[in-house]
Amino acid sequence: MATPLLHRFSFFERIVHWVVGVTFVVLLATGLAFAYPALFWLTTVLGGGAAARALHPQIGSLFGVGMLCMFGLWVRDMFLDGQDRAWLGAIKHYVTHDRDKVPPAGKYNAGQKLFFWVQSLLGIVFIVTGGLLWFPELFGAAWLNTARLLHYAATLGGGLFLIVHVYLGTIAYPGTARGMIEGKVTPAWAKLHHPRWSGDRVDR
Amino acid sequence: MPDTLAIKRISATPSALIPLNSLRSGGPVYSKLVDISKCIGCKGCEVACKEWNDLKVEQTTNFGSFQSHKDLSSNTWLLMRFNEVEVGDDLSWMIKKDACLHCEEPGCLFSCPAPGAIVQYQNGIVDFNQDHCIGCQYCVSGCPFDIPRFDKETKTVAKCNMCIDRVEAGLEPACVKTCPTNAIEWGIKEDMLALADKKLDRLRERGYEHAAIYNPGGVGGTHMMYVVPHGDRLEDYSLPAHPTASPGQLRGLNVLQRVGSYLLGFGVISAFVHFLAVGPESPEESA
Ligand code: HEM
Ligand code: SF4
Ligand code: SF4
Repeated sequence: MATPLLHRFSFFERIVHWVVGVTFVVLLATGLAFAYPALFWLTTVLGGGAAARALHPQIGSLFGVGMLCMFGLWVRDMFLDGQDRAWLGAIKHYVTHDRDKVPPAGKYNAGQKLFFWVQSLLGIVFIVTGGLLWFPELFGAAWLNTARLLHYAATLGGGLFLIVHVYLGTIAYPGTARGMIEGKVTPAWAKLHHPRWSGDRVDR
Repeated sequence: MPDTLAIKRISATPSALIPLNSLRSGGPVYSKLVDISKCIGCKGCEVACKEWNDLKVEQTTNFGSFQSHKDLSSNTWLLMRFNEVEVGDDLSWMIKKDACLHCEEPGCLFSCPAPGAIVQYQNGIVDFNQDHCIGCQYCVSGCPFDIPRFDKETKTVAKCNMCIDRVEAGLEPACVKTCPTNAIEWGIKEDMLALADKKLDRLRERGYEHAAIYNPGGVGGTHMMYVVPHGDRLEDYSLPAHPTASPGQLRGLNVLQRVGSYLLGFGVISAFVHFLAVGPESPEESA
């Protein structure tokens, strides 16, 4: 196929995304190990319970830096416009792949934009509550117990959204992962998933 | 012969919720009884604790108090606190034997995510097993009495173990053994409760009309109980009036964790079902 590929994510964008992605998955595994005794064996991934406890906040710091970069890189593309609101109204057609009834998306569809905002918000919750739990000597029991509750609530939210995100980015929409790995996508993919964006690209 | 070290609960295992009840249970259930009115402030118990448990000596400083150390530490499992309080026109020491109370419902154990790091025995003793401790310090915020202390060198947590090695051998804890006035007594918990009642009667005769026993129900009772002369002034003794083994946030956390495990599983299954139902959406197909 001789069709030129469309540039979607720069090298830096991809590095930042995968720092966030990989650290998040490791944090999720060790975090769930601390939450569920039946999953405690997952700490083995990082060398056992004590090592996992020591590394979790350090990896969390890397995640925090990654999230900050990601926010800075992408925030200006993430504000919802009128068509995005229409897209949200038609979300059930999006789910059932009824493309004709789905308003065209720009570089990101409204779902992706919301995912961005939710993860940014949860990122703040993770960092603040995780910081408290990292230095428990500095805080009282009530604060720490509240922090544990919120840290887990964020894990649950982040985990659920991640399932959807990974599913859509890999097996549900073939050709999407390529954009985050090679940085490029096919024009057909762009036309299907992000018609307004693909139009932009062609004009340029 | 019942096993003196039969296990009741192990942290981060199902037994934390449903206590083990083995054939080997039914042994004696012990308790310390600390009669604050009989303490003469000699701190012999502190020394005995250090000696028996081979705990490091810490440099102390004079901070204008009769108290030896400012606080408990991973090497100081017992501290006699001398709170100076005015009673009427008089200065009074509200003495507290600050150490693990060995709760019947131990908040530390309920909070601990590491299987086996905290063990409760049928005899009432709650002990930390540092080999399994991951150093998260959740037990510290789970304990309503602020007892466990983190050791920065070993990255584990330590506290009074009720001289479990002595108890196993049929001996009383070292602090009990050493106390010259029998302010600390040791025995079967029921006997200690009966003894406490007698002590209360005597204190009331002596004019301590608010004398009370401290064996708080919020943690299911404790295996170190206090006879408190001024039972209406618990806060002056640094004794929480309403300690609880499961504060609201941690109860909420437990509920959320249970719901969460189903939600996460449901999420994965839903994605799979969606894939089976509508399949992937490839550009080639719709183009
Ligand atoms: C480890 C598993 C992950 C995989 C396989 C994955 C995959 C992808 C893919 C393929 C894209 C490109 C979507 C497109 O081109 O439209 C993407 C974008 C994105 N990723 Fe991830 N990702 C993962 C983890 C994460 C995590 C943990 C976060 C944040 C906490 C995250 C945040 C984002 C955001 C905000 C975008 C842009 C908006 C969007 O596509 O929703 N990703 N990801
Ligand atoms: S006093 Fe604290 S450390 Fe001791 S058993 Fe109770 S909760 Fe655990
Ligand atoms: S510090 Fe150790 S004993 Fe305390 S809760 Fe964490 S793993 Fe359990």
